[in-house]
Amino acid sequence: MSRRKKKHNDSGVELNLAAMLDMAFQLLAFFIMTFKPAPIEGQINLKLPPPKPVAGVKGGEQAGDDDKNKSAVEAINTLVISAFSTPGGRIQTLAIGEGNVAGVSALDGRLKAVLSDANSPFDQVIVQIGSKLRYEELMKIVDVCTKQTLPNGEKLTKLSFVELPADTQP
Amino acid sequence: MSGSKSEGEADLTPMLDMVFQLITFFMLVTSFKAASLDLSLRLPVVGSARPVETQGEESLLVLNVNKDGQLIVYSLPQDIVPYLKAEAKMARREAKEKNPRFKDTDDLPTTVVVRADKDTPFGLLNLVIKTCQENGFRKFALKATDRAGS
Repeated sequence: MSRRKKKHNDSGVELNLAAMLDMAFQLLAFFIMTFKPAPIEGQINLKLPPPKPVAGVKGGEQAGDDDKNKSAVEAINTLVISAFSTPGGRIQTLAIGEGNVAGVSALDGRLKAVLSDANSPFDQVIVQIGSKLRYEELMKIVDVCTKQTLPNGEKLTKLSFVELPADTQP
Repeated sequence: MSGSKSEGEADLTPMLDMVFQLITFFMLVTSFKAASLDLSLRLPVVGSARPVETQGEESLLVLNVNKDGQLIVYSLPQDIVPYLKAEAKMARREAKEKNPRFKDTDDLPTTVVVRADKDTPFGLLNLVIKTCQENGFRKFALKATDRAGS
Protein backbone atom coordinates (compact mmCIF):
# COMPACT_ATOMS: atom_id res chain seq x y z
CA MET A 1 0.00 0.00 0.00
CA SER A 2 2.64 2.42 1.09
CA ARG A 3 4.91 1.43 -1.79
CA ARG A 4 2.12 2.15 -4.28
CA LYS A 5 1.50 5.60 -2.74
CA LYS A 6 5.17 6.57 -2.96
CA LYS A 7 5.34 5.65 -6.61
CA HIS A 8 2.27 7.78 -7.29
CA ASN A 9 3.87 10.84 -5.58
CA ASP A 10 7.15 10.58 -7.50
CA SER A 11 5.53 10.66 -10.86
CA GLY A 12 2.79 13.20 -10.01
CA VAL A 13 4.66 16.14 -8.45
CA GLU A 14 6.84 17.82 -11.00
CA LEU A 15 7.40 21.52 -10.60
CA ASN A 16 7.80 23.56 -13.72
CA LEU A 17 10.83 25.61 -12.79
CA ALA A 18 10.97 27.56 -16.04
CA ALA A 19 8.41 30.14 -14.91
CA MET A 20 10.15 30.65 -11.60
CA LEU A 21 13.47 30.97 -13.39
CA ASP A 22 11.99 33.62 -15.69
CA MET A 23 10.82 35.62 -12.72
CA ALA A 24 14.16 35.19 -10.94
CA PHE A 25 16.02 36.44 -14.02
CA GLN A 26 13.76 39.47 -14.16
CA LEU A 27 14.50 40.25 -10.54
CA LEU A 28 18.19 39.74 -11.15
CA ALA A 29 18.10 42.06 -14.18
CA PHE A 30 16.37 44.73 -12.08
CA PHE A 31 18.99 44.57 -9.32
CA ILE A 32 21.88 44.56 -11.79
CA MET A 33 20.52 47.58 -13.63
CA THR A 34 19.75 49.60 -10.51
CA PHE A 35 23.01 48.68 -8.76
CA LYS A 36 25.05 51.80 -8.19
CA PRO A 37 27.71 51.44 -5.53
CA ALA A 38 27.90 54.49 -3.26
CA PRO A 39 31.24 56.29 -3.60
CA ILE A 40 33.45 56.42 -0.54
CA GLU A 41 33.48 60.02 0.58
CA GLY A 42 35.02 61.74 3.53
CA GLN A 43 33.61 64.63 5.46
CA ILE A 44 34.55 67.33 7.90
CA ASN A 45 32.05 67.77 10.71
CA LEU A 46 31.41 71.29 11.90
CA LYS A 47 29.15 73.23 14.20
CA LEU A 48 28.18 76.30 12.26
CA PRO A 49 26.34 78.78 14.43
CA PRO A 50 25.18 81.93 12.66
CA PRO A 51 27.88 84.61 12.92
CA LYS A 52 27.52 86.98 15.87
CA PRO A 53 28.96 90.47 16.23
CA VAL A 54 32.62 90.30 17.05
CA ALA A 55 33.59 91.74 20.40
CA GLY A 56 36.95 93.28 21.01
CA VAL A 57 39.01 90.74 22.88
CA LYS A 58 41.20 92.12 25.60
CA GLY A 59 44.26 90.11 26.51
CA GLY A 60 43.62 87.68 29.33
CA GLU A 61 40.08 88.88 30.01
CA GLN A 62 37.64 86.10 30.67
CA ALA A 63 33.97 86.14 29.82
CA GLY A 64 31.92 87.72 32.59
CA ASP A 65 34.91 89.39 34.29
CA ASP A 66 33.63 92.84 33.56
CA ASP A 67 30.66 93.38 35.91
CA LYS A 68 29.61 96.58 34.17
CA ASN A 69 29.25 94.86 30.86
CA LYS A 70 26.03 92.86 30.75
CA SER A 71 26.09 92.32 27.00
CA ALA A 72 26.22 88.72 25.97
CA VAL A 73 28.11 89.76 22.84
CA GLU A 74 31.10 90.79 24.92
CA ALA A 75 31.47 87.24 26.16
CA ILE A 76 32.32 85.93 22.73
CA ASN A 77 36.01 85.37 22.21
CA THR A 78 36.30 85.16 18.50
CA LEU A 79 39.27 84.81 16.24
CA VAL A 80 38.72 86.30 12.81
CA ILE A 81 40.32 84.79 9.73
CA SER A 82 39.89 86.63 6.44
CA ALA A 83 40.27 85.00 3.05
CA PHE A 84 40.19 87.30 0.06
CA SER A 85 39.72 85.74 -3.34
CA THR A 86 41.05 86.38 -6.82
CA PRO A 87 38.46 86.88 -9.60
CA GLY A 88 39.15 83.22 -10.53
CA GLY A 89 38.13 82.03 -7.07
CA ARG A 90 41.56 81.23 -5.66
CA ILE A 91 42.93 82.47 -2.34
CA GLN A 92 44.53 85.87 -2.87
CA THR A 93 45.33 86.88 0.70
CA LEU A 94 44.84 85.26 4.07
CA ALA A 95 44.83 87.18 7.32
CA ILE A 96 44.38 86.45 10.99
CA GLY A 97 42.94 89.53 12.63
CA GLU A 98 44.86 92.39 11.07
CA GLY A 99 48.00 90.46 10.17
CA ASN A 100 48.47 88.80 6.80
CA VAL A 101 49.71 85.23 6.51
CA ALA A 102 51.62 83.87 3.53
CA GLY A 103 49.42 80.90 2.71
CA VAL A 104 47.44 77.98 4.05
CA SER A 105 50.46 76.27 5.61
CA ALA A 106 51.48 79.55 7.27
CA LEU A 107 47.92 79.88 8.55
CA ASP A 108 48.26 76.46 10.14
CA GLY A 109 51.42 77.57 11.96
CA ARG A 110 49.92 80.86 13.12
CA LEU A 111 46.73 79.22 14.37
CA LYS A 112 48.75 76.62 16.26
CA ALA A 113 50.78 79.38 17.90
CA VAL A 114 47.68 81.38 18.83
CA LEU A 115 45.58 78.49 20.10
CA SER A 116 48.33 76.55 21.89
CA ASP A 117 48.69 79.40 24.38
CA ALA A 118 46.96 78.32 27.60
CA ASN A 119 45.68 81.88 28.10
CA SER A 120 44.24 82.02 24.63
CA PRO A 121 40.80 83.65 24.95
CA PHE A 122 39.51 82.29 21.66
CA ASP A 123 36.88 79.60 21.53
CA GLN A 124 35.31 80.39 18.19
CA VAL A 125 36.58 81.25 14.75
CA ILE A 126 34.83 83.46 12.25
CA VAL A 127 36.03 83.00 8.71
CA GLN A 128 35.39 86.00 6.45
CA ILE A 129 35.43 84.77 2.90
CA GLY A 130 35.36 86.48 -0.45
CA SER A 131 32.16 85.66 -2.31
CA LYS A 132 34.03 84.31 -5.34
CA LEU A 133 36.26 81.93 -3.40
CA ARG A 134 35.74 78.40 -4.67
CA TYR A 135 34.56 75.62 -2.35
CA GLU A 136 37.81 73.74 -2.94
CA GLU A 137 39.84 76.68 -1.59
CA LEU A 138 37.44 77.16 1.31
CA MET A 139 37.89 73.53 2.30
CA LYS A 140 41.65 74.05 2.58
CA ILE A 141 41.01 76.74 5.20
CA VAL A 142 38.37 74.66 6.97
CA ASP A 143 40.75 71.70 6.97
CA VAL A 144 43.45 73.78 8.67
CA CYS A 145 40.98 75.14 11.22
CA THR A 146 39.55 71.75 12.16
CA LYS A 147 43.06 70.38 12.74
CA GLN A 148 43.56 72.86 15.59
CA THR A 149 43.09 72.00 19.23
CA LEU A 150 41.75 74.56 21.69
CA PRO A 151 43.53 75.15 25.02
CA ASN A 152 40.84 73.06 26.76
CA GLY A 153 41.85 70.06 24.66
CA GLU A 154 38.81 70.07 22.40
CA LYS A 155 39.09 70.12 18.65
CA LEU A 156 38.10 73.36 16.98
CA THR A 157 34.85 72.54 15.20
CA LYS A 158 32.89 75.69 15.91
CA LEU A 159 33.24 77.98 12.93
CA SER A 160 31.13 80.72 11.45
CA PHE A 161 31.26 81.88 7.88
CA VAL A 162 30.77 85.49 6.84
CA GLU A 163 30.68 86.54 3.22
CA LEU A 164 32.84 89.48 2.24
CA PRO A 165 31.35 91.76 -0.42
CA ALA A 166 32.64 91.02 -3.92
CA ASP A 167 34.58 94.27 -4.21
CA THR A 168 36.36 93.97 -0.85
CA GLN A 169 40.11 94.24 -1.22
CA PRO A 170 42.70 93.18 1.33
CA MET B 1 9.90 7.84 -27.34
CA SER B 2 9.05 8.95 -23.79
CA GLY B 3 12.62 8.17 -22.74
CA SER B 4 14.12 10.57 -25.28
CA LYS B 5 11.73 13.33 -24.15
CA SER B 6 12.84 13.07 -20.54
CA GLU B 7 16.53 13.17 -21.57
CA GLY B 8 15.99 16.44 -23.46
CA GLU B 9 14.69 18.33 -20.41
CA ALA B 10 17.40 20.34 -18.67
CA ASP B 11 17.48 20.29 -14.90
CA LEU B 12 16.87 23.93 -14.02
CA THR B 13 17.27 23.54 -10.25
CA PRO B 14 21.01 24.42 -10.01
CA MET B 15 20.52 27.41 -12.30
CA LEU B 16 17.62 28.63 -10.17
CA ASP B 17 19.74 28.21 -7.05
CA MET B 18 22.50 30.27 -8.55
CA VAL B 19 20.13 33.00 -9.72
CA PHE B 20 18.57 33.23 -6.26
CA GLN B 21 22.01 33.56 -4.74
CA LEU B 22 22.80 36.40 -7.12
CA ILE B 23 19.50 38.09 -6.30
CA THR B 24 20.25 37.77 -2.59
CA PHE B 25 23.67 39.32 -3.13
CA PHE B 26 22.31 42.31 -5.04
CA MET B 27 19.49 42.82 -2.55
CA LEU B 28 21.98 42.95 0.30
CA VAL B 29 24.47 45.31 -1.34
CA THR B 30 21.96 47.66 -2.95
CA SER B 31 21.73 50.86 -1.01
CA PHE B 32 19.21 53.44 -2.03
CA LYS B 33 21.19 56.01 -0.07
CA ALA B 34 23.33 56.47 -3.18
CA ALA B 35 20.28 57.76 -5.05
CA SER B 36 20.36 60.93 -2.94
CA LEU B 37 23.90 61.70 -4.11
CA ASP B 38 24.52 63.66 -7.27
CA LEU B 39 27.50 61.76 -8.65
CA SER B 40 28.19 64.36 -11.33
CA LEU B 41 29.56 66.74 -8.69
CA ARG B 42 33.32 66.93 -8.37
CA LEU B 43 34.13 67.10 -4.68
CA PRO B 44 37.24 68.89 -3.40
CA VAL B 45 40.21 66.84 -2.28
CA VAL B 46 41.02 67.23 1.41
CA GLY B 47 43.56 64.94 3.00
CA SER B 48 41.95 64.82 6.42
CA ALA B 49 38.44 64.06 5.16
CA ARG B 50 37.50 60.65 6.47
CA PRO B 51 34.39 58.56 5.99
CA VAL B 52 32.21 58.70 9.08
CA GLU B 53 29.89 55.88 10.06
CA THR B 54 26.70 57.11 11.70
CA GLN B 55 25.32 53.56 12.03
CA GLY B 56 21.98 54.91 10.90
CA GLU B 57 21.23 56.55 14.25
CA GLU B 58 21.77 60.12 13.15
CA SER B 59 19.35 61.73 10.77
CA LEU B 60 20.99 63.29 7.75
CA LEU B 61 19.86 65.85 5.22
CA VAL B 62 21.92 65.53 2.04
CA LEU B 63 22.19 68.70 -0.05
CA ASN B 64 23.93 68.62 -3.43
CA VAL B 65 24.99 72.06 -4.61
CA ASN B 66 26.29 72.35 -8.16
CA LYS B 67 28.74 74.99 -9.36
CA ASP B 68 25.87 77.29 -10.34
CA GLY B 69 24.61 77.22 -6.77
CA GLN B 70 21.57 75.10 -7.59
CA LEU B 71 20.30 72.80 -4.88
CA ILE B 72 19.85 69.30 -6.30
CA VAL B 73 17.86 66.74 -4.34
CA TYR B 74 17.28 63.27 -5.81
CA SER B 75 18.39 64.62 -9.22
CA LEU B 76 15.83 67.42 -9.17
CA PRO B 77 16.64 71.12 -8.68
CA GLN B 78 14.81 72.61 -5.71
CA ASP B 79 14.10 76.14 -4.53
CA ILE B 80 16.44 76.63 -1.59
CA VAL B 81 14.24 78.50 0.89
CA PRO B 82 10.95 76.56 0.65
CA TYR B 83 12.72 73.20 0.48
CA LEU B 84 14.85 73.82 3.57
CA LYS B 85 11.91 75.28 5.45
CA ALA B 86 9.90 72.11 4.79
CA GLU B 87 12.85 69.88 5.76
CA ALA B 88 13.35 71.85 8.99
CA LYS B 89 9.68 71.46 9.83
CA MET B 90 9.90 67.72 9.34
CA ALA B 91 13.14 67.48 11.32
CA ARG B 92 11.55 69.44 14.18
CA ARG B 93 8.54 67.12 14.21
CA GLU B 94 10.81 64.09 14.19
CA ALA B 95 12.89 65.52 17.04
CA LYS B 96 9.74 66.15 19.09
CA GLU B 97 8.63 62.56 18.58
CA LYS B 98 11.99 61.31 19.82
CA ASN B 99 12.30 63.81 22.64
CA PRO B 100 9.05 65.35 23.95
CA ARG B 101 11.04 68.06 25.77
CA PHE B 102 12.46 69.35 22.48
CA LYS B 103 11.52 73.02 22.04
CA ASP B 104 10.93 74.85 18.78
CA THR B 105 13.85 77.17 19.55
CA ASP B 106 16.32 74.30 20.12
CA ASP B 107 18.93 73.49 17.53
CA LEU B 108 17.87 70.71 15.21
CA PRO B 109 19.69 67.40 15.76
CA THR B 110 19.79 66.66 12.02
CA THR B 111 23.19 66.88 10.35
CA VAL B 112 23.18 68.75 7.05
CA VAL B 113 25.51 66.98 4.63
CA VAL B 114 26.76 69.51 2.10
CA ARG B 115 28.03 68.00 -1.14
CA ALA B 116 29.16 70.95 -3.22
CA ASP B 117 31.09 71.01 -6.45
CA LYS B 118 34.67 72.12 -5.91
CA ASP B 119 34.12 75.11 -8.23
CA THR B 120 31.05 76.43 -6.39
CA PRO B 121 31.67 80.06 -5.39
CA PHE B 122 31.34 80.66 -1.67
CA GLY B 123 28.68 83.34 -2.21
CA LEU B 124 26.30 80.77 -3.69
CA LEU B 125 27.16 78.05 -1.17
CA ASN B 126 26.71 80.51 1.66
CA LEU B 127 23.10 81.09 0.59
CA VAL B 128 22.39 77.42 1.29
CA ILE B 129 24.30 77.41 4.59
CA LYS B 130 22.66 80.63 5.77
CA THR B 131 19.19 79.34 4.93
CA CYS B 132 19.93 76.16 6.88
CA GLN B 133 21.09 78.22 9.88
CA GLU B 134 17.99 80.42 9.73
CA ASN B 135 15.88 77.28 9.93
CA GLY B 136 17.66 75.92 12.99
CA PHE B 137 20.25 73.56 11.52
CA ARG B 138 23.62 73.83 13.29
CA LYS B 139 25.38 70.52 12.60
CA PHE B 140 27.02 70.35 9.22
CA ALA B 141 29.22 67.86 7.42
CA LEU B 142 31.16 69.20 4.46
CA LYS B 143 31.88 66.41 2.00
CA ALA B 144 35.21 65.92 0.29
CA THR B 145 37.30 63.10 -1.03
CA ASP B 146 40.68 62.10 0.30
CA ARG B 147 42.22 61.50 -3.11
CA ALA B 148 41.88 63.00 -6.56
CA GLY B 149 39.68 61.23 -9.06
CA SER B 150 37.63 59.22 -6.55
